[in-house]
Amino acid sequence: MKFGRVALLLVAATALQFFVGGSSHRAAWPIDCFLIATAVVARSGNPSRALLVGGALGFLEDAFTQELLGMNAFAKAALGYVFAVLSVRVALGGSWAVGGALAVASLVNDGIVALLSVLLMRSPLVLLSREDLWRAAATGITGGIVEAAREFPWREWWKRRLLRRLR
Amino acid sequence: MSSSSVEIATGRSRRSGLLLVCVLVFCVLLLSAQAPGGGKRRGSLLQSWILSVAAPVGRAVLLVSRGVSGLADSTSEAFSARAENVRLKRDLTAKNQELFRLRAEVSQAARERLLLSGGAALPNVQMAAPVLLIESRAGVQSALVGVGSSSGARPGSPIAVPEGLVGRLVTVGATVSRAQLLLDASAAVGARIVRTQELGVVRGDGRGGMRLNNVPTTSRVAAGDAIESAGIDGIYPRGVAIGRVASVAKGSDLFLEIRVAPAAQFSRLSDVLLLAPSPAIPGAAGGGRSGGP
Repeated sequence: MKFGRVALLLVAATALQFFVGGSSHRAAWPIDCFLIATAVVARSGNPSRALLVGGALGFLEDAFTQELLGMNAFAKAALGYVFAVLSVRVALGGSWAVGGALAVASLVNDGIVALLSVLLMRSPLVLLSREDLWRAAATGITGGIVEAAREFPWREWWKRRLLRRLR
Repeated sequence: MSSSSVEIATGRSRRSGLLLVCVLVFCVLLLSAQAPGGGKRRGSLLQSWILSVAAPVGRAVLLVSRGVSGLADSTSEAFSARAENVRLKRDLTAKNQELFRLRAEVSQAARERLLLSGGAALPNVQMAAPVLLIESRAGVQSALVGVGSSSGARPGSPIAVPEGLVGRLVTVGATVSRAQLLLDASAAVGARIVRTQELGVVRGDGRGGMRLNNVPTTSRVAAGDAIESAGIDGIYPRGVAIGRVASVAKGSDLFLEIRVAPAAQFSRLSDVLLLAPSPAIPGAAGGGRSGGP
């Protein structure tokens, strides 16, 4: 993925996060836009780029929402790397697989942040709360839909549609 | 695959592995430098800069988000009697705001009396601010609020809605600040049960609820009792609603296990009121709108 596209993705993910988080209906579909953006970059199969983008997005998320900078950066950099390696070596494919992987990744991200909070801030350990599970589900489903839309043969579909109309 | 291409692939894999280790080590070092007890927090200054830079994006997107939300709402209203409901809600909010203002005025009068007797200060509403973003992750419940040091906000300033207390500002940028919500697993506020006048500590459970701790088993507290801030923690003002007792159970030791339903609707927050910081917070003496960092 080219640098310009990565930068565009970064801005889009931030804007979408604000869009969802600023809405009064935010609890209805609480997707983790930063994680989806990390997965999109990782899908290209370059682990270095994926972990750097994941780290940058996590850092941005920390600045907006966390007491300490670096917790989400740590989690998302590691997840970006794992995603990229998986997409190259295991040939992870299909919207179901991508959606499931994203849902699990969202929970892993929460787990890493919770553990770091316990270690560094002595916060109570909160794992698998209802909100975390709902976000994991929403992120997974959204990621699955994005993957399905990416894989869908739009050009052929459009051509077939035109042919049908001509007949 | 030829041997040269295998070597290139192995080299690339090694490089990315090394990069991963470097990034993770950098994150750990950054976190260690900011961890409580590690001296002055450098992260909050950086965070404050990032918040200031991101403020225009946040505000612009908020406008779009509110517009889309409003459009979605009005579309659904066309098919139901929701418009009437919205009007009634608006009326109720206006009434609540009036109540909040009156309460603040009563608090102000009480504050003056307390000041005369050498007591602590009580709240006064400074301004209203939009909520730009609410995040809830792994027990951390925080919000980005569209108010900053340029309009007199300071770290530690409590935020509330007419229904009750919401939280406090933690990191303050020039025009945007980050707030810790009462639902956060690390948040705590000194509280009083209105009916029995007993004191306790309300803590967020990080899962959308709150608990009232340190209330002895001899207490007469019952489900439905109102809980308000006690003003004993040096952060939150006295007499602001926190919630109602949802359930009372015997704890494992000398204290009751009390669950509290929050008064404020955290999932539907759109605007909050900024209260003057407690005089106990450094630099907040005299309350009011003075200065930025």
